[in-house]
Amino acid sequence: MGAFGHNARVLGKDALAPGLPPEVPPFPWERDPKDILCHAYADPVFDNDILPLTYTNSRWLAFIIDVPMENLEKIVPEPLKVEDTKVEFWYVDHNHTMLGPYYEMGVTIACSYTDEHGRTYYGGYYPYMYLSQDSAIFAGREPFGFPKKKAHIRIIEHGGGYQRGELPEGTGPFKPNRYFSVFLERRGYLIHTATGYYDNAKVPMPVFYGDPKWGRFNLKLTTSPDVKRTEWALTYLPSEYEGEHRFQLRRNTIQTASPDAIETWFLQATPFDNMGEYLEGELLGLIAFNFDLIIPPAETVWTKVVERTDEDIQKHIMYSKPYQYTLRHDFPIPRYP
Amino acid sequence: MPTHLFVKDPPVVVEGKKRGEIPPMPLERDEKSIFNFGVCDPLWDIDTFPLTYNDSRWIAFIYEARMEDLVKIVPKPLEVVDTRVEFWYVRHKWTMLGPYYEMGVTIPCVYTDEHGNEWKGGYYPYMYLTGSAATDAGRMLGFPKKCAYIVFHEHGGDVRKPDHEKDFFTCLIARNGYVIHTASGMYDDAVDAKDISPIFYGKTDWGRFNLKITSNSSLTKTVWELTYLPSEWEGKHRFQLKPETIRTASPDNIVWFGQGTPFDNMCAAIPPKELLGAIAFTFDLIIPPAQTIWTQTYTRTPSEVAKVCYSKPYRYGMRQYFPKPVGP
Repeated sequence: MGAFGHNARVLGKDALAPGLPPEVPPFPWERDPKDILCHAYADPVFDNDILPLTYTNSRWLAFIIDVPMENLEKIVPEPLKVEDTKVEFWYVDHNHTMLGPYYEMGVTIACSYTDEHGRTYYGGYYPYMYLSQDSAIFAGREPFGFPKKKAHIRIIEHGGGYQRGELPEGTGPFKPNRYFSVFLERRGYLIHTATGYYDNAKVPMPVFYGDPKWGRFNLKLTTSPDVKRTEWALTYLPSEYEGEHRFQLRRNTIQTASPDAIETWFLQATPFDNMGEYLEGELLGLIAFNFDLIIPPAETVWTKVVERTDEDIQKHIMYSKPYQYTLRHDFPIPRYP
Repeated sequence: MPTHLFVKDPPVVVEGKKRGEIPPMPLERDEKSIFNFGVCDPLWDIDTFPLTYNDSRWIAFIYEARMEDLVKIVPKPLEVVDTRVEFWYVRHKWTMLGPYYEMGVTIPCVYTDEHGNEWKGGYYPYMYLTGSAATDAGRMLGFPKKCAYIVFHEHGGDVRKPDHEKDFFTCLIARNGYVIHTASGMYDDAVDAKDISPIFYGKTDWGRFNLKITSNSSLTKTVWELTYLPSEWEGKHRFQLKPETIRTASPDNIVWFGQGTPFDNMCAAIPPKELLGAIAFTFDLIIPPAQTIWTQTYTRTPSEVAKVCYSKPYRYGMRQYFPKPVGP
């Protein structure tokens, strides 16, 4: 005899569960349609309670690499211009954010864009980004253009003290750890790992560190469901918001590692992720710190539209043969999370 | 001595490129071939097209829902035309997006345009996948995909037999630390699939609807697009069911649990009124680009953008905490 049951309560939804916290927004179908930012209509992948998008006491580990200019120019698209060869190769451990907790990894390259009126925007451009959580991926990709993929990411600092400071400021002093270990894996391939210890040596910084003239760029591509139209939009986030720097670094949490203290480093290209192909360079060190952050809506500073005919779609888009699967179509079945 | 190793050309990549299985890097190609970002290393690329599936395994729980529940979650301009709902899991092994698990709900709907033309189709109010590339590829077409932990397993009996000759099934979906739904049971083949099928099964005039909702980077504009995938493609049904693989389970042989969670309202919004049974089968599929048959644009002033913000900065509540996902 089978058992059949269902629970009609939605936690936090007053109409069906009186007395529970009002932290879950009302159902989308009960709201002004203007409140809905993405699909699914009835249950969006991220909702308006992620706004304003803030982060508290996240932990950033930035490896600094000097990469040949010709490699960077291969991965930075028009209309951006690469301004410096010092690249930030970073991991972040987020515990308190409007999107919930997640791990993140990315690359930032110093770039500029000059518009037709001669105004120059300076910013870090993100060619690669990986996250461990879906709402944060699609909130990053769909409105804002952050080029996020889902990957298996780990970050740990350990040894030599108490647990590192995860609590909000005022709840205790920062207790530095001695060692760090990070890794990034996707589709069965290790993309990157690094381990080492903090020796607090002087490490060269990317040009965009601490300078309020440097914002952040993203290049968002939006393609129509019939694949006949793709809009390219270069988006820009100024470094300041409401008179303050969006990124508030906690100075007492800074730790560094010299290249010799980064004891192991492994970065490889894989059939699915080409970062290792273009970022070979000289490792200059590691800078780690805690920070708070706010990410407001971004302005679009450049657009381009690419149209495709049916013939273009056949010629440029239909790369594979139907029902014939190859190296890129087979990997360990993903298990989220 | 530290070891710093950069491997830019491992054999698998060199050989994969030589054999044409790894497409050239997008920024070295014609711009008409670039449709996804990051532009130097997109989440999914041209080798996804044409999007085909082979030997995927589907289990559909069929139930009667309340019309008033369905009407709430189906947006205008769609009209719900039947209360028999398909609540399904899929195990994909061979697809142009790689392998993944999937879960979703299909509701029979129609859309009539201003000229009186009528489209019939299954509408997807909820969908979950285990892979991010497949999730994003679906979202581009308007499929409302989220990522979740999903399992669909068939087992029992002679292990050398194919999946469709196993005795038992178990399905599970969980997200952000909450079980959303689980069902397990036994194939008794006691119900005839034809007797419990939703009205869109096997009909060539029933396609599939999606409602894609996208916002610009300043959140001042949101576009709603109703997309339609006809059931036929190049003269054949897109969905090729393998009749010899059909198995069924009667309601008495199904254990079912569903709940609303702080993050996912599916099982609370459209609970079953009566479970009719389960139908499992194996199939091949092709998903072509979709046509857009209706659009609506909402614009927001800066003050309306500010009004959309539901939370207080740096104050985190119930919806901002769950077990930290580690991927993959």
